Amino acid sequence: MTNLPLWFVPLFPLLGTILLATIAIVSSGSKKGPSEGFVGALSVLFPVLSFLSVVLLAFGMPEEGIRQTLCNWIDIPMLKVDIGFLFDGLSRVMLLFVTGIGSLIALYSIGYMHGDRGFTRFFAYINLFLFSMVVLVLSDSLLLTFLGWEGVGLCSYLLIGFWNHDLNNCKAANKAFIVNRVGDIGFLLGMLCLATLGGSAILNYDALNKFIEMLIAGGHVDLAAPILMIAGLLFFVGCTGKSAQIPLLTWLPDAMAGPTPVSALIHAATMVTSGVYLLARLSRMFSVIPEALVIILIVGMLTAFWAAVAGLFQNDIKKVLAYSTISQLGYMFMAAGAFAFDASIFHVFTHAFFKAALFLGAGAVIHSLAGEQDMRRMGGLIKKTPITACVMIFSFLAIIGFPGFAGFWSKDLILERIYTNAPYGEFFYGAGLLTAVITAVYMGRLIIMTFFGEYRGSKESEEHIHEAPASMLIPMVVLAFGAVFAGYLWADSMGIKFFEHTLAPVVGDAQNYLVSKLDIAHVNPMTFACFGTAAAVLGMIIAFAVYGRTRIPRISAKISSAPEGFKADWTFFFDYIHEIFIVMTKVAAFVVDMFVDKVLQGIQWTIGAIVEIVGDGVSAFQVRKVRVQLTLSLIGVVALVAVVLLTGGLF
Amino acid sequence: MELQPIYIQILALVLFTIGLITALARRNVFFVLMGVELALNAVNLSFVGFAKTLPADLSVAGQIVPLFSIAVAAAEACVGLALVILIFRNRESVDSDNYSNMKG
Amino acid sequence: MLALIYFIILAVVAVGAALCVFLSKHPLYGGLSLVLTMLSLAGIYGLLGSPFIGVVQIMVYAGAIMMLLVFVISVLNAAKDNKTPMFDGVSIFVILGVLALAGLVGFALVLSPMGFDVTTLRGSVEMTSSNLFNTAQNGPGYFVLFEVLGLLLLSSMGAAVLMAKKRLGTDEACVEEKEEK
Repeated sequence: MTNLPLWFVPLFPLLGTILLATIAIVSSGSKKGPSEGFVGALSVLFPVLSFLSVVLLAFGMPEEGIRQTLCNWIDIPMLKVDIGFLFDGLSRVMLLFVTGIGSLIALYSIGYMHGDRGFTRFFAYINLFLFSMVVLVLSDSLLLTFLGWEGVGLCSYLLIGFWNHDLNNCKAANKAFIVNRVGDIGFLLGMLCLATLGGSAILNYDALNKFIEMLIAGGHVDLAAPILMIAGLLFFVGCTGKSAQIPLLTWLPDAMAGPTPVSALIHAATMVTSGVYLLARLSRMFSVIPEALVIILIVGMLTAFWAAVAGLFQNDIKKVLAYSTISQLGYMFMAAGAFAFDASIFHVFTHAFFKAALFLGAGAVIHSLAGEQDMRRMGGLIKKTPITACVMIFSFLAIIGFPGFAGFWSKDLILERIYTNAPYGEFFYGAGLLTAVITAVYMGRLIIMTFFGEYRGSKESEEHIHEAPASMLIPMVVLAFGAVFAGYLWADSMGIKFFEHTLAPVVGDAQNYLVSKLDIAHVNPMTFACFGTAAAVLGMIIAFAVYGRTRIPRISAKISSAPEGFKADWTFFFDYIHEIFIVMTKVAAFVVDMFVDKVLQGIQWTIGAIVEIVGDGVSAFQVRKVRVQLTLSLIGVVALVAVVLLTGGLF
Repeated sequence: MELQPIYIQILALVLFTIGLITALARRNVFFVLMGVELALNAVNLSFVGFAKTLPADLSVAGQIVPLFSIAVAAAEACVGLALVILIFRNRESVDSDNYSNMKG
Repeated sequence: MLALIYFIILAVVAVGAALCVFLSKHPLYGGLSLVLTMLSLAGIYGLLGSPFIGVVQIMVYAGAIMMLLVFVISVLNAAKDNKTPMFDGVSIFVILGVLALAGLVGFALVLSPMGFDVTTLRGSVEMTSSNLFNTAQNGPGYFVLFEVLGLLLLSSMGAAVLMAKKRLGTDEACVEEKEEK
């Protein structure tokens, strides 16, 4: 049905936010808070309504998409921006899984956040987040996307620091927001660069695409290429901030301080993928600056490799999954850098399912162990929590790219495109394959340490291990289904190319333009499938050999989960680099402060001293003797008259 | 050599100067008052001297204004002496340098 | 010619007496010298055709004002330090300053043309009184000034009396009462 207005989609989460915020504020005085069933029902209702609107709109969407302008936002001579929505193949795919997974996680959170006094506030934030994400994806201009971009950053801050009585959570939230902000400067400057080319009208995606096509048709690409290159790199800086790539990735591991549903929704499925979405949207612009794409490819590869190794060194289950997210995002950026925007979006799609399932499963594990997150104190849970174990094992098979599961199709597609399209494709392909092996190793380690072997925790907690309640299990199972079957939307070797066709109107031009300049060696997709499967199996074997056979020693309850020694250096490498910049800024601030302080004080002192000296001099004329003062005034008159006389005044 | 108006003015100037010097250079308060009286007299002389250089209807001023000046000088001397008496009661001194409360 | 000789004599007397005022040690000597100056100035007024003013000068100035001054000097001269030093550093300063002023004024005077007018009225009593008490609408308005002057004199007299009288109940009054007892 195409006559459903587009603004219905962001409307429902917005209503949910307002309603839940009102309930939270009104009930803030009471000790127990409002009824959880009522609030939970409301907070799932609105995302579900949003999802249903997207589904209704999706079925019947014309190929070129629906465009609607809601109203005018800014109308000043320099800047004219409308609030408009664009519903085409790309936003349809993104919205389907954003609202769908959002609804599922809202359902999951009812069980997870049970008993928490901030129950209502949590769901108000979740709905606000969904609203911002929908606005980000659905907007038709860069400026409205930026609004959503900032909104999701804000909600990330609010939700990471949700349990705000703990100072570490607040610090993590601050870190997330501030590092995001540094990236946002890149986004803003990118918009400014574009605006220097075409005014504020170029910020609309359709207008931007037409502009690029005009450049190509007229052959003027070289004129605008430097500015476009700068704009592209600046937008990529924004993406590194939001999607946790090198160098702005230090916030994502710390963001695990928030509740697990938050990690699942924001830092696995939706917010961190907005950087990839932005690249896909701007694909036409990037298609004329292929050098920027090479840089994106390199950064993605380095991030994927670095994060995979770091994931191997972690002991906290959620931190392993966080580094896994960074690594998979690196894969998505590698795909974008290899001129395969649709492959990167496909990996976003499948990754959302299996990563969200992994996080929700980890949340169920933590819930059943009453808060224990260190894997060295887990083990043998498969007997006690079988459904959770099944979900996580299926998602594990998906993420390592085992044939038949979702990750197999998307990851192998990416690796194939890297081999064929990228410069020095073999090198990048080899790096990607190595990262896949390491991925399998650390994920295997996670599964083995958590579910197999003997339970390494305390005896009392062993009695309390129980399966998660139904409200938590249902979303996990649904997502596990997605992890298994979502990949079949684009099973290249089987000939199903549904996903590719959906995205073709959006990114097809860009990709064809780029690919047309290369000569592709014809390769057999089965070769890649074999290599990918071999990598996955190899990793599983290594993990089993290292962690399954050997007995992991029990550790006491007081040892922290943080890595030590070389592992800590690798993990916190980028934190150290950031620290250098922070120290430099502090030194500069100190110097400027001292200087301004001394200089300003010096000026004040000088002015005061001048006034004092002049005052002392003038007060020397104040004498005790009246006659001296009278004589001085007389002499003053004489001097005045003499001056007037000498300058030819009176006579 | 006839009497010139300028001679009268020079005389007035000299008397005025001496009167002003007396008023400002002497410390005894009575000399200050005397110097002021002398200066006023010199001004009167100047007035009368100038009036003689004017035609008929304007020269009347030269008789009237000195009259007023004398009357005002009288009033001023009266009040000034009252003030001197008053200050003398307080300070027990006729040295005008001691009349100041200022420091330095 | 004769006028000039008379003038020179009277002028020399006036200036000499003025210098005596400046240089005298005791205030009484200064007062007496001032009286002499005023008398000679009265003579010059008479010489200049203003006999009325000359006589008024003697009556009011030399007679009333100087008498008052001498009286107060005598009353208050029972003070301790009537031997105040005559000249100090400030005097040089003052002399120089006033001489500069005089130089300027003299310069201005000498440069301006002046000449006696033959139609000048002689300042007799009749002339002065008829102009002073002329209340006509388009005449000189000295009458009003005359009345105001009367008011001024009255007020200054009242002020002087008020200021200088002894207050009942103050220390001096008490001291005097004790002395009387």
